[in-house]
Amino acid sequence: MQSDTTKPADREPDRPVITRRLDRLFLDLADVSSFVGRFFREMFLPPYEFKEIVRQCYEVGYRSLLLISTTGFITGIVFTNQSRPSLTEFGAASWLPSLIAIAIVRALGPLVTALIAAGKVGSSIGAELGSMNVTEQIDAMEVSGTDPFKFLVVSRVIATSFTIPLLTMYTIFVALIGAYINVNQHEQTSFTSYIQEVFGAITYVDIFASLIKSIVFGFTIGIVGCYKGYHSSKGTEGVGKAANSAVVTSMFLVFIEELLSLQIVGAIRGS
Amino acid sequence: MSTESNKRSVVVGIFVLLGVLIFVAGVFVLGGQQKRFTKSIRIMAVFSDVAGLKAGNNVWFSGVKIGTIKRVKFFGTNQVEVDMDIEQSAQSYIRKDAQATISSDGLIGNKIVQIFGGTPKAGPVEENDRLKTQEALSSDKVLETLQENNQNLLRVTNDFKALVGNIRRGKGTVGAVLTDSVVANNFKLAMENLQKASLNTVKVTGSVSAFAAKLNTKGSLANELVTDTTVFRRLSRTASRLENAAGSAEKTVSTLNLTSENVNRASEKLNNTNSPLGVLLTDQETATNLRTTLRNLNKGTELLNEDLKAAQSNFLLRGFFKKKAKEESKRKADSTTVVQPQP
Repeated sequence: MQSDTTKPADREPDRPVITRRLDRLFLDLADVSSFVGRFFREMFLPPYEFKEIVRQCYEVGYRSLLLISTTGFITGIVFTNQSRPSLTEFGAASWLPSLIAIAIVRALGPLVTALIAAGKVGSSIGAELGSMNVTEQIDAMEVSGTDPFKFLVVSRVIATSFTIPLLTMYTIFVALIGAYINVNQHEQTSFTSYIQEVFGAITYVDIFASLIKSIVFGFTIGIVGCYKGYHSSKGTEGVGKAANSAVVTSMFLVFIEELLSLQIVGAIRGS
Repeated sequence: MSTESNKRSVVVGIFVLLGVLIFVAGVFVLGGQQKRFTKSIRIMAVFSDVAGLKAGNNVWFSGVKIGTIKRVKFFGTNQVEVDMDIEQSAQSYIRKDAQATISSDGLIGNKIVQIFGGTPKAGPVEENDRLKTQEALSSDKVLETLQENNQNLLRVTNDFKALVGNIRRGKGTVGAVLTDSVVANNFKLAMENLQKASLNTVKVTGSVSAFAAKLNTKGSLANELVTDTTVFRRLSRTASRLENAAGSAEKTVSTLNLTSENVNRASEKLNNTNSPLGVLLTDQETATNLRTTLRNLNKGTELLNEDLKAAQSNFLLRGFFKKKAKEESKRKADSTTVVQPQP
């Protein structure tokens, strides 16, 4: 009997059904669907690994806070500074807070957080699970009676899905503060006026869209990292590949999801 | 291990709490900004053209944001009904006869509904009231007007071009003025004269100014003339007297005129050789005769004096003359006694 950590490529039939490549693609898709389905099933079934979830929240959320906050702060300053000349050109520098608010809340906050998390957390999960797979710790857990999927995958995906929205809120907050410092330095705008401008430009749709989007991003990063690590090929090379693949795939998916969310939110806003 | 786990849980708890707080604060600040938590009433307005107004856009009254657009929907055949949520606190200020118009937040800002006008006679607006509307000036209409202005401007510039061409060719009065050198010289002279006149005006102004300064100097005659009412009254009286005197002088002059006429007539008569005086004054022969006569008279008189002296020495008349001399000396002595001063 094959282990559930075996790669789809390892389970390829000797004779291809369509072509070897297409067969592999569909097998991958089926495996991912099965993985995601299993996650949702396991998530609601006891026993619940709360401690592991809290530990993962600590690792994913708290440990990324400094990096993400710094990135958000810099993003706020840089974006403000780069946007100023264009607005100043037609005498609309006073619109800078509105522009920054829309850009940060709608797109930059969730996207920057997701990309940083994909790089830091996605690679970490991929490498960690890949290394456990390579060293057959996952098999050992299974043998010892612990559900490795629930313990390793469910806890991590829940942690990323829960903490990345929180990190997004931090990023938005810190980026807006950074932008304020820059705006105040150049335009001498008061904090009250800045806040009025910022919240005058955004709507509930923007805030909730960002929140939902970052939950999806978190889920994507977690599930891709876990999948790549859980199904890494044997050997030390497999660990590296799993980590790398987790980052690249999750980043790519984050951009695809951003594009989709743009269409969906646009449709909601338009109605 | 347990302590580490607890510490981790606390950190995660704080992390989660702060994240949630940021989110909740954002939601509440946004709600406050959009007046989500304030009591509101719904009013409507029907427009022919909403110019891209959307749900969520602001409603302003006297430049203050008082609500938001809730819904934009078609109404009737080709009109659009806009539902607005207005803060209850602003309700009492918006009158039933107030009007709504589509405007924009700044030159290129979002579309807004602006409520204006209203009279105190009409009561405050109520739930589901429909405001009167005033169609806003759309950018297309503005462009149409601008286009018309452009065409007018083109016509004006064409006319001006033709006018300038005519002037350059010396046509018309202005053309002649501008192209004829004589006219130009005259104009130059006129300008020089004007300049002189302006210089004189400056001098006059200076003099007037100095005069005014003197007028304002207290104690001066001019100042008193202007300010002192007593002096003015006196002057007035003097003027009336002068007027009277002038009247008298006029009469005198007329009398003098008559007199001079008489003198003229008299002198005419004197010049006339037919009159006795005229003959005396103007006729040479008569003058010579008269002179001869006078000489003869002088001689006659001298001879007569000698005769008289001789007569005084005559014994017949000697007594009379002696008596007369005595009376004369006596009268002189009396007059000397009367004239002597008293001690």
